[in-house]
Amino acid sequence: MSLYDTIINKIKQIQEYDKENEPVTNIAASSTLAAEITLLSSILVAVIMLRYFSNALMIVAVILVVAIAFFAMPIMPKLKREQNDSLNSMIFYIIIALGIITALFYWGNIHV
Amino acid sequence: MNPLIALLVIVPITCALLLNLLHNKDRTIKIIATIIAIFLPIIPLFTSYGLHYFGAYSTLAQSPTLAQWVPSTITNSVLNLYHMGIVYSFGSAQQVLLIVLGIIAFLAIITSLNEIKRPSGVYAFLMFMLVAAVSAIILSDDIFNLYVFFEIAAIAQVGIIIASKIKGNYETALKYMILGSIASPLFLVGIALLLGITGNVNITDIAYSLKTGIINPQNPVLLMACGLIIFGWLYGTGLPPFHTIKSAVYSKALPHGAALLQAFSVFILVALGIVIFRIFSYIPFSKTFIIAISLAAMILSITMALMQTDFKRIIAFLAVGELGYIGIGIGLGTAYSITAGLFQAVNEAIITAFLFIGFGTIMYLTKETDIKKLGGMMIHYPKAALLVLLAGLAMAGVPPLNAFQSKFMLIQSSLNAGIPELGIIMILLSIVTFMTFMKAFYAIYMRPEPKELKINVSKIPKATIFSLVVFLIICLVLGLFPQIATNALQPLANSLI
Repeated sequence: MSLYDTIINKIKQIQEYDKENEPVTNIAASSTLAAEITLLSSILVAVIMLRYFSNALMIVAVILVVAIAFFAMPIMPKLKREQNDSLNSMIFYIIIALGIITALFYWGNIHV
Repeated sequence: MNPLIALLVIVPITCALLLNLLHNKDRTIKIIATIIAIFLPIIPLFTSYGLHYFGAYSTLAQSPTLAQWVPSTITNSVLNLYHMGIVYSFGSAQQVLLIVLGIIAFLAIITSLNEIKRPSGVYAFLMFMLVAAVSAIILSDDIFNLYVFFEIAAIAQVGIIIASKIKGNYETALKYMILGSIASPLFLVGIALLLGITGNVNITDIAYSLKTGIINPQNPVLLMACGLIIFGWLYGTGLPPFHTIKSAVYSKALPHGAALLQAFSVFILVALGIVIFRIFSYIPFSKTFIIAISLAAMILSITMALMQTDFKRIIAFLAVGELGYIGIGIGLGTAYSITAGLFQAVNEAIITAFLFIGFGTIMYLTKETDIKKLGGMMIHYPKAALLVLLAGLAMAGVPPLNAFQSKFMLIQSSLNAGIPELGIIMILLSIVTFMTFMKAFYAIYMRPEPKELKINVSKIPKATIFSLVVFLIICLVLGLFPQIATNALQPLANSLI
C-alpha cells in the first residue's frame, strides 16, 4: 500500500471517528501529505539544533523522531484531531504547557 | 512632556465613547468614525519623541522642588531614581508601530462602515477601544498599566467576535474568555511577583534594579515571574498552546474585525516580547524558550493551515504561524535580528490585514467561507483576485514585496548567529505558506464555479478596494525602501542589547 493510500485510509478512519460524512478529496489528501512532509522535515531540522547543547542528545533525538515517524505515520490527521476546537483539549494542553513552562523556568534555571 | 503622546490613547477612547452615545444615528456615526479614523495614523506622525509622565513628575532626582519636601532617607536611597507615576515612552520605533496600527485601524474601520448595513451599535465602539488599548500597550513603560490595557483589549476582542454575528461566534468568544480566565490571572501573578521582589512596576526601573544588582537577579521568585509573564505573553499573542483558540477567534470575526484582532496579536507580541527581553534577557533560557515556542508556532500553525477547508481559518492559522518569525527575531537577541523581527511584525500586521480584508470580499459577496463550496470568482472579480494574489505573494516573502526584506533579514540573522537550521526552517515554511495560500486561492478564484454557489451582492464596496490598494502600496513601498521602517526600528533594537 502506498503512502498516499495509507493517508486516505487514515483520513477515512478519522472521519468515521468524528462522524463526518464528507468525501475525501484529492486536495484533502494532497494537503495532508504536504503537511506530513513539512511537519517531519521541520522537526528533523529543528532537532539538529540540539547539537548546541549536546551532540549525543541530538543523535538520540533524531533517531527518536525518525522512529516515531516510521511507526506513527501519518501524523497530521492525528495532530488535526488533537488540535480541535474542543474546550477540554484546549484546557488540557494549556495546563500541560503551564506546567512545562514553570518547571523549565524555575527548576531549569535555578543553581545553573 | 509631550501632550500628544497621551492623545494617542485618549483620542480613540473618546471616539469610542462618543459613538456609543450616538446610537441609531448611522450617518453621524459614519462621519465621526471616518474622521477620527483618518487621524489615527496622523497623530503619531506629528508627535515628537519623548516621555509622558501621568503623575506630572518623573523622578525625585529630576524634580528638586518636590524632593525638598521628601525625607532624606528616601532621597538618599535608590527611590530617588525611581519613576513616580505611569510613564509613556514614544520613540521612532513606537512611531512606526503606531502609524502602522493607525493605518490598519483606519482601513478596517472604513471597510466595516461600508460593508455593515447598520454602523450604529457596539462594533465601531469596540474597534476604537481595541485601537486605544493596543496603542497604550505599545507606549506604556509600566507593566501593570500594560496589563490593564491587555485586559481591556481582551474584552474588546471578545466583544468584536460576539458582535460579528457569524455562526459559532458565541461559543468561540466564551472559550476565549474561559482560557483567558486561566492565563490572565497567572500573568498578573507574574507581575505581582515582580512587584514583590523589585517594589516597582516601571519597566525601566525594574531593568535598572536588576542590572545594577540592587535586586539579586538570581532570586528564584524572578524565575517564576518570568515563566508566568511568558505564559501571559503566549495567551495574548496566540503562540502555542493558544494557537488553536486564536485561529478560531480570527475566523469567527468579520474580516475587518479579524484584521484588527491580528494586529493586536502582532503588537502584543512585540510590546510584551520587548518587556520580557528588557527584564529577563539575563536568563539565557528565556531566549532559547522564545525561539523554541516560535518554531513550534510556525510548524504547528502552518501545517494546520494546510489541513483546513475554511479560508478564514486558513489565513488565521497562517497569521499565527507568521508570528513565529517575529519571535525568532526577538529570541536570537542581536540588534540586527531584533530589528528584523520588528520589521517582520510591521509587515505581518499589514499583510495579514490585507489578506483578511481581501478574502473577506468573498464572504461579503457569497456569505460562504468553505473553499469546497466556492469557485470561479476570478471571472466575476478579476481586480479583487489580483489584489488578493499579491497579498499572498507578499505573505510568502516574494520580492519586491515587504515580507521578502524582513524574512531575508531574519534568515541572515540566523546565519550570523551560527544557527543555519533556523534559516532552513524559515525558508521551508515560507514555501509551504505560499502553497497553502495557493490552495485557497485556486479553490476560490480559479476552479470552475459550483452550480449551487449564490452571489448575494453584485459589487464589492469601493472602500474595500481602496483599502486593498492602500495595503498593496504600503507592501510595495516597504519592499522597495525597507530602510523607511528599519532605520526607525533600529534604535529600539540597539537599546535592548
